[in-house]
This record gives sequence, C-alpha cells and structure tokens, in this order.
Amino acid sequence: MQVDAATLPGDLPERLREPALTEGLVTAGGLDDQVLAFPETRPPKQWYIALAITLSALGIGLGCIGYTFFKGIGAWGNNSPVFWAFDIINFVFWIGIGHAGTLISAILFLFRKRWRNAIARFAEAMTIFAVLCAVIFPLIHVGRPWLAFWLFPYPNQRAIWTNFRSPLLWDVFAVNTYFSVSAMFWYLGLIPDIASMRDRTTSKVRKVIYTALSLGWRGAASHWRHYEKAYLLLAGLATGLVLSVHSVVSFDFATSVVPGWHMTIFPPYFVAGAIFAGFAMVVIVMVVVRESMQLKNLITTRHLEVMNKVILGMACLMGYSYFMEGFTAWYSMNEYLHHGFKNIISGTYGWAGWLTISCNILIPQLLWFRRCRTSYFWMILVAIAVTVGMWFERFVIIVISLHQDFLPSAWRVYKPTVYDFGILLGTFGLFFTLVLIFARVLPVIATTEVKGILPGAQPEHGGHHG
Amino acid sequence: MSGKQTSPSPALWGAFLLGGAGVLAAFALVPRERFWANWVLWFVLMATLGFGSLFIVALEHLVNARWSVAIRRIPERIATLLIPVVPVGLVALGAVPVLYPGARPEAAHHKILAGKAFWLGTPFFSARTVIALALGLLGLYLLVRGSLAQDQSRDPAFNLRARKFAPAYMAIFALVTTLLAFDWISGLTPEWYSDIFGVYLFAGSFLCALSVSSLWILSLKGEGRLEGVRGDHLYNLGGFIFAFTVFWAYIGFAQYMLMWYANMPEEVIWYKIRLQGAWHVLTVLLAAVHFVIPFFLLVTRDAKGEPKNLRRAAVLMLGAHLLDMYWLVFPNLGGRPLFSWPELSFALCFGGGSLLWMRASMSRGEDMPVGDPFLREGLEFRL
Amino acid sequence: MAETFAVLGLFDSADALAKAIPGVRDRKLGRLEAYTPYPIHGIDEALGLRRSPLGGMVLVMGILGALTAFGFQYWISAVDYPIVTGGKAPWSWEAFIPIMFEVTVLFATFTAGLGMLFLLNKLPFFGHPVLQSKAISAITRDRFALALEAEGATLDPAACEAALRAAGAREIEVVPAPERAPFVTSDFVLRSLGGIFLACAGAGVLMYWAVKLFPVLPPMSYMQNQPRLNAFKPSAFFKDGFGMRAPAPGTVARGHLPLGAATQEEAAGLANPLPRTREVFEMGKAAYHNRCEVCHGALGKGQGSLTAAYGAKPANLQAQQFRDYPDGKIYWAVTKGKNQMPAHDADLSETQRWAVVHYVRALQRAQNATDADLQQAVRR
Repeated sequence: MQVDAATLPGDLPERLREPALTEGLVTAGGLDDQVLAFPETRPPKQWYIALAITLSALGIGLGCIGYTFFKGIGAWGNNSPVFWAFDIINFVFWIGIGHAGTLISAILFLFRKRWRNAIARFAEAMTIFAVLCAVIFPLIHVGRPWLAFWLFPYPNQRAIWTNFRSPLLWDVFAVNTYFSVSAMFWYLGLIPDIASMRDRTTSKVRKVIYTALSLGWRGAASHWRHYEKAYLLLAGLATGLVLSVHSVVSFDFATSVVPGWHMTIFPPYFVAGAIFAGFAMVVIVMVVVRESMQLKNLITTRHLEVMNKVILGMACLMGYSYFMEGFTAWYSMNEYLHHGFKNIISGTYGWAGWLTISCNILIPQLLWFRRCRTSYFWMILVAIAVTVGMWFERFVIIVISLHQDFLPSAWRVYKPTVYDFGILLGTFGLFFTLVLIFARVLPVIATTEVKGILPGAQPEHGGHHG
Repeated sequence: MSGKQTSPSPALWGAFLLGGAGVLAAFALVPRERFWANWVLWFVLMATLGFGSLFIVALEHLVNARWSVAIRRIPERIATLLIPVVPVGLVALGAVPVLYPGARPEAAHHKILAGKAFWLGTPFFSARTVIALALGLLGLYLLVRGSLAQDQSRDPAFNLRARKFAPAYMAIFALVTTLLAFDWISGLTPEWYSDIFGVYLFAGSFLCALSVSSLWILSLKGEGRLEGVRGDHLYNLGGFIFAFTVFWAYIGFAQYMLMWYANMPEEVIWYKIRLQGAWHVLTVLLAAVHFVIPFFLLVTRDAKGEPKNLRRAAVLMLGAHLLDMYWLVFPNLGGRPLFSWPELSFALCFGGGSLLWMRASMSRGEDMPVGDPFLREGLEFRL
Repeated sequence: MAETFAVLGLFDSADALAKAIPGVRDRKLGRLEAYTPYPIHGIDEALGLRRSPLGGMVLVMGILGALTAFGFQYWISAVDYPIVTGGKAPWSWEAFIPIMFEVTVLFATFTAGLGMLFLLNKLPFFGHPVLQSKAISAITRDRFALALEAEGATLDPAACEAALRAAGAREIEVVPAPERAPFVTSDFVLRSLGGIFLACAGAGVLMYWAVKLFPVLPPMSYMQNQPRLNAFKPSAFFKDGFGMRAPAPGTVARGHLPLGAATQEEAAGLANPLPRTREVFEMGKAAYHNRCEVCHGALGKGQGSLTAAYGAKPANLQAQQFRDYPDGKIYWAVTKGKNQMPAHDADLSETQRWAVVHYVRALQRAQNATDADLQQAVRR
C-alpha cells in the first residue's frame, strides 16, 4: 500500500495536542543563565534555615547511632523472633526510594520519553543519596561496622571465603554495583554541564574545580558520538540493574520459608514498589524545588502530571501484587500462610496492614482525576501517603511475618525504641541535607539534555537517514 | 487503497484439513488425557497470542506511543484471533473434568483441594473462562473495531476513547492472563501454586504477540505493502523482543530460584518432574531458545533492525513460546515427553487454522490506521 | 612563528551548522571537527566520523565480567572452600547467577563510562587549544562551532576563513597552536595528579589509623566486650568461682574410649583392631605426617626437623627395641606419651592412633626389607 502523505490527517486536533516540554521562551543561553547561576549566587536565608533543620535531624540520628555503638544492638527493639526490624525496613525503604531515579534516567531514556530530561538530574542525585542512606542500616546491623569489609571476598590469613550461596552476600554485590553505576551515570551526565559552568565562572577557584571535574570536556562532535553511545549503553545496563537490585533485596526474604516471605512474586513486586515510592519522593522534592528555585518554566505542570500518572500505574501494579498475595495465601490452602495473611489484616498489627493498603492502593486512586494530578495539595497528599504506605509495607512484610513464627511459644510483639526512630529521622536528615547541598552546588537540571530537546535544537531531518 | 485480496492458499488449507482429520482420529484413538492436553495447549497458545496482540495495541494508547502507530494495524488484525479462540476455548472446557484434578470428584476428599473445590470445580471454572473470552471480545470491539472504523471516518474522537479505555484493557489483560495461567496451566497441578505465574505467562504472551506481529510486518513488507515502515520501526520491535526475552528469563529464573532455594516439597515437585530424563533436555532447550539464543541474536544495535535477523529471532521466539506451552502442559501427563501424530495433527490443524485466519485478516481495513491523526508522527519516527 | 591549530567558525543554530558541513568538507582544507553544546543528531556521517566502537567493547567486557564472576564463585564455593551451607551443595549454579549478573553490569558499566572518557575520548585533557580559545564559553553555552584543524600539515588560515564564511559562519576565530606540544605535558595535570596522590596517601594513612584505633576505643570497644563467660576467667556465677565447667565424672568423649591399661607393660596385650588396608595406611600416614614426623622423622629414625631445635632425643623407631615392641606398647606411647613425648589422645582419635601403629610397622618393615619381601613385591 502506498501511504500518500497528502491524504494523511495534517495538524493534530487541539484535544490531542500535547503541551510543550517547557513554558514560555526558553533558549539555550537563557537556560544556562537560569540553572547554572545557582551555584554562583549566595543561597537565600530559607536555604540556611532548611539546612539547619536537616542537619539537626542528622545530628539526632548520629547521636542515636553513637548510642547504639555504645550500648550495642540491644538499644534497638529487635529481639527474638523479630531479629530484623527497623534496620532492614529502612534499608529496603531507602534502596527503593533510589529506584525512581534510575527509572527516570535509564528506562524512560530508552523509551525516548523526553519529559524525563528536565527531572533526570535531580532524580539521579536522589538515587545516590538514598543508597547512601540505605547502606547505613546493614552496616550498623552487622554489629561491628568496622569489620564490614569481611563481606567482600578477599584472600585472607584466616583462609576462609564468603558464602556465595547467601542472599545477603548477593545484596552486598547488588547494592555496591547499584551505587557505582548510579554514580557513574550521574557523573557522566554532569560532565558537559560542569564544562558549561567552567566556561561561565569568573572565580578562579571555581574555574580550577570545574576544570578538573569536567576533565577538559570541549564538546567535540567526535566525543559526543562516544558519549551518546556510552549514555545509551549505561541506560540499558542500568535498566537491567534496577530490576536486579530490588529483586536481590527481595531474595533476602523470598528465599526463606517464612510464611509471608516466601512468595515468588516478590522480585517484580519489590521493583514496582520501589519505583512507586521513589516517584512519590521525587514528586515531593520536585514540587519544592520548582517553587523555591523558580523553575516553573522547565518543570511544568505536565511533568508533574506525567509523574503522577506513573505513580497511579504503579499503584495499580501494587494492587495486583497485593491481590495475588492474598489470593495465593488462600489458594495454597496452607494454614501457615492463612495465619500469616490474617495477621496482616487483623491482630496486633492489623492497623499497619490496613494503613499500607489504604496508602498504597486506595489513596493513589485519586490520581485518576486530572484535577488531583495537577493540584499541589492532592499530589503532595498522595505522595506523602505513598511514602508512609511504602514504609509500612516493609514493616508489614518484615515485622508481621516474623513476630509470629512457626513456634507459638516464641511469639512476641515487637516494639521499636526511641533510638530506632532517631536513626530513621537521621537518615531523612542526611538525605535532605545532601539534597539541599546538591541543589546549591551542581546544576539541578541537566541543561545539556534540555538544550537538546528545545524547539529547533536539532537540524531539520535532512537526507542523512537515506 | 485497501490491501490486496488474499490469494487462496491450498497448502495451508491442506494442512488445516489434514490436521483436522488427525484431530478427529486422535479423539477416537488416543487416551483422553493426551487429546485434551493438546487442545489446552493450543487454546492457551492462541489466547495468549490474541490477548498479547491486543496488549500491544492498548499499550500504544496508554503511553501515547507514536512510532507504533505505523504498525498498529498488524497487531490489531492478529488480535481478531480472539474470535476463533471463543469456540476453541468453549470446547476446551471438555478438558476440565478429564485433566484438572480439582474438578474431579476425588477432589472432595483431598486435604488441600477440598478447601478450594468451589474455585476449581467445573461450574465456576467454566464461568471464569467464559468471562475471560467475553472480555477479549469486548476489548476487540472497543480497540480494533473503532480503529477500523476510523479509516473511513477520520474522527480523532476514537483516539480519546481508546486512550480512556486502554487502562481498563490493562486491567482486563492482567485478569485474563492471570486466570489463564492459574486456571488452565497451574490448575493441572492444583496443589502447586506460584503467585508470579500470571506475570510469567504475560511475558510469554507479549513476546509471542511481538514475534508474530514482526513476522507479519516483514512478510507484508516483502509483498511491497507497509511502505512507510522503516528500519527504525523494526529496531523498536527487535528492541522490545530483546527486552522481553530478558524479562521472561528474569521472571522464570526468579520463580525457579526461589523454589529451588526454599526447597519445599509441594513446590519443588513441579520442577522435579521437569528436570528428569528427557524433560531435563527440554528444560535446558527452553532456556536456550527462549533466552540465550535470542539474546545474542538481538544484542547489538544493528541486529535489532535488520529484517533477516529479526525474522530469524521472531521465528525462534514463536517456536520458543510453543515449546514453553508444551513444557507447561505436557509434563503433567506423567512419563516421557509425547510427540507423535496426534501432536503433529494438532499443530497442523490449529497452527494452520490460525495462519489461515490471520492471513484472511490481513485484508481487513487499510494496512495502516490512515485515519489516526498520529500516523504522520508514527511514520516520521526516527531513532 | 605561532602555527595555527584550528580555525573555528561559529554558527547560531544546529541547523546552520549541519547545512554548512558538506560545503566546507568538500574543500578539504583540514580535519573537520564540530564543537557543540549538546550532541547534534545526524552530523556524524557528514563529518566523516565512524560509529562508536563502544558497544563491542562493552559486550566483550560484559561477557568477561560474567565469566569472571561465575568462575570466581565456582572456584571459591566448590573448589577452594567447599562447605555445605543451608543445605545447598558447594556447586549450586543457581546461587551464583545474581552476583554474576551484578558483576557483568559492573564490568560493562565501567567499560562504557571509563572506556568512553579515557580510552576513546582521551580525557582528561586540559591543554587542548580549543579550551584556550575565546569561543569555548560560547560553545558550551549555545553556539555551534565548525572547526578546520591542522592535520599534521599546516593550515591556511585565510582559505579556511573564506570557506567557513562562505558556509555562513557568523564569527571566525583562529586558534593558535600552543608553544609547547600540549599533548605531552600540562602543569595542571601534573599538579592535580600530585595533589590527588598526596591526598590519597594522607587519606590512606588516616584510614589505617582510624581502622586500627577506632574499634579499640571506648565506646566502640563496648560492642566487642560483651558480657560473656571466658573459659579460663573467674566467674562469680558458679560457687567454685571457675568460669569453665568440668565434665561430669565418667564422661567419655566420642572416639576416646579409656585405654584400659594403666602401664605400657599392661598394654602389650592389646591387639590392633584395624585391618591392614590401603585406606588405613593412608590414614596412618596422614596422622604420622601431622603429629609424629617433626620429631621422629619421615622414616621414623628419630631425626625430625624439630629435634635439633629442642635438644630432645626422640626414639629411633627403626631400632631393634622398637621393632620388637608389640603393637599395644606403641599404641600406649602414642596415647599416653612417653618421657618428653606428649600424649596424643586429644589430637588423634582411637582409629587414627591404631592407624599410626600400622603405619609405623610399615615404616619398620620398609627400612628392613628382606629378599622375601622383595620377591613378594615383584610377584605383585
């Protein structure tokens, strides 16, 4: 069949047209003046106030960690049979927060969703900070953090090796790889932006720092072709990695025979949950950044709406997973699974189960309405609900499954101590401290990538495709 | 104008009729279990292909994809396979009292099965299948019929309607695929359960639909149709097949590894019978043709959009999906892998029949959704 | 004379740049290069750039990573340190897949990132002439430069300028070649590298002391000094004040039945319960190697490697006195010790001790072989 271009419908009808990726007139130079100017100016007073708050939270966390070192793990609420509690909940929670960054930077890149360009940088930074927060927990939980290097297989006088058949060791490799790859991805994206900053700055000290960091990037076409290829390859690799990392985290639970942990759906379900929680965090941070840094023309309502749609989609996937968990628990006709599932919706921690279901499945359904997807109030409400809900989901999985195991005489109700909460608060402090510093030190928007998608940024399609 | 009239294909008709005769002979001659296992296999295969093709269509509407507008008509046409799937599925209900232990009278005295006898019993089982088939027809009506009508009407209102319906189809697809997996496949061993099983079948279903779409696209391009479809579009198809072979391997490995690790008797038995004797060979072969070989066939950038290579990979994927279905259904009969004239007859009859149907459907509407306002962008798509 | 390294023509839009390339290229005035603030699609072919070989490098390194990880895990778990844990056999390929995947990604990522930066783009490179040009701050901002660069030979700046102007360049900048060959040295690089090296060295020393000192400082040490009962420390918990408990009277450890003979003479009547099989001799040989050889020597002649160091005089087991010993008396000496020789009942099980006796007999016979023995051996 010959498709005659003349017979095709021409311009899109108004209803189907998508809003532009930027608002108002954005030029490449204007973009630099807007985004790269932040590191060159002094932060406003509000920034210092925010930093003081986050640093105080961090200080409280450090104090609680110090007390834990002083007193031992007994300072926490963990005790038989709930050997894993806040430490692992927080670990899984933070690793999950990181996944949104990789999704935005890698998976959406592969799908050529160009709206990602404006938010990718911030989301990637959040990935790295979240992984940093996450690794604190297993490090303390091993009891002797200064011996944590024993987790690595290195030749030693003790002539012993690590146990490669343990999912906990897979975690070590997965999380380290995740951190390295995320950092590499982030840095690679930063290089051209830092080169721009190098060539703008008038300060000598900054010039030296930016020169070193940009590695002498000069924007040569012969470099860009390798650069783009590397970026594409990294995106592909990071996509596989993001699936694997939370899957490996889920293996920590699912390889066991604990009812409520041994579920074959755990790997994809953990990944979906991680992206879900991560997106909620990105929405919260992006709203604040957009308002406080006057980036409304670059991070438009459309960006927020699309992110909210992703959250909605993930909420539905989570709904499917919860449903399958419940269905399989019934379908198995296994009394232990029945008991475990009953504990989620009733019993001591029934409230946590219902909180999880409401926050993760029910409240995000608000996002079906366009009004809720575009209004700050509703989207922040949903995002906070999701953050809380996803934290409690891990609480449900870990604490509820453990507190009543196969041995009724060992059953015990778990109660966290003030130090558990303090360390959790501390990681929030650390996370937001790093976010605040990042926002003032490095370009918060990948200017190079946004420049590439501005109208007229690319040559007209000339015959180069043959 | 409209695509060419399909020329009659005596070879396909011959295969179909010969296979049909073989199927009738099998009904009379071979044990009931074997006959129905073949029937279930082909029902699930055709259903996954039909629903998977509709999934490709719905996915485009859901995420506002542009590149796939140019090739959308092909999965839309393949999805019409859901019409012949209805009688095939209804006849397949005859297998329920034969093959499915949960629907047999003994189940009432079985410790595990008695508790879910209502769910596994013939009445509710049949009702679920009928609902699933009806939902398939509904999706077909809303997504495909509307799109065909748009060829004439050029009314963009269809795009808005389809965009609204797409999320609902996703829910339908999740439900139906899970039901197919749990009822028709995992129901063969009702003591065994794995909550990832629906996702596993989804991966196979999507891959199968992608491969068959790619094959038809390449074949139509060979006839000089689908002129605007370029290497860039083929690259995306290849990329999706590549990504989802990895996804399939991920899901399959996760399920296997978790069961292997926990080593619970009621779970590992399912793999135990598939890792013995000749089944072990088939299991390794499945991993090779469903993941390893297509992975390396499609891993480089050039390979994904190269028509010859894509055809090779798509044929392999289709064969792998068939093997996957065989590997899911047949070990439950006990004993060694069966392959002889009954299986061959079923392949000729149902495979030939599906091909005939799809061949005929290739003249439905225009080759491209010419009424779709996004077609221009779809044709202009560059990597 | 300051040679020209490149002539840059600046364009306002990517489109103008792309349109200018073919015309300038056809004049063949020098090596063509473009400097742009972001990647411009479709100009690679026009500039005559080949496709990046990075994909192949990453594929090879990824496969290498997979093989490395799998081989490493296999060797450690199944060869060097084979221990059954969690009911999983040493060789469990399923358990090696996750780490194999992670290491594959790690290798591939580092190849993609670092290979792109260091190998293909030859960065860091701070001395490139274009970085010293006035145009660079426009290039990394919003301008697009087409450059004609000296390709070994000299460049004709005037001709280049004319060509670029004809192609529509708004501004022209002639970039001089640096005085020294910039490709070899750059003070900045050396200074930075030196600084980084010193910083690393300093950080390493600090880390070393931190790791050394940190754990033993209170409060960190509290975690190590947990309340527990040390075997040879006093304890207030038991009435007798000892931390360690003695076993109940009459307790017999497995494989350590009491001898039933008070003196060596009484033990003379004990018979060796073990058969004279190859396995038993192998067991005896191993035990002899571990426990006896340092003093009695490999051949039992009483000249082991420790003899000189301790000034002891171990028995020469080849002496007639010991060749005449009944098995039971040797067994008694191994079990209870004799003179300076320590008792070995704690180190060797009953079976091992009897196996040692067999092995000593074999040593004695081997060192004093007769013609009959030789014939017997030949017949075998």
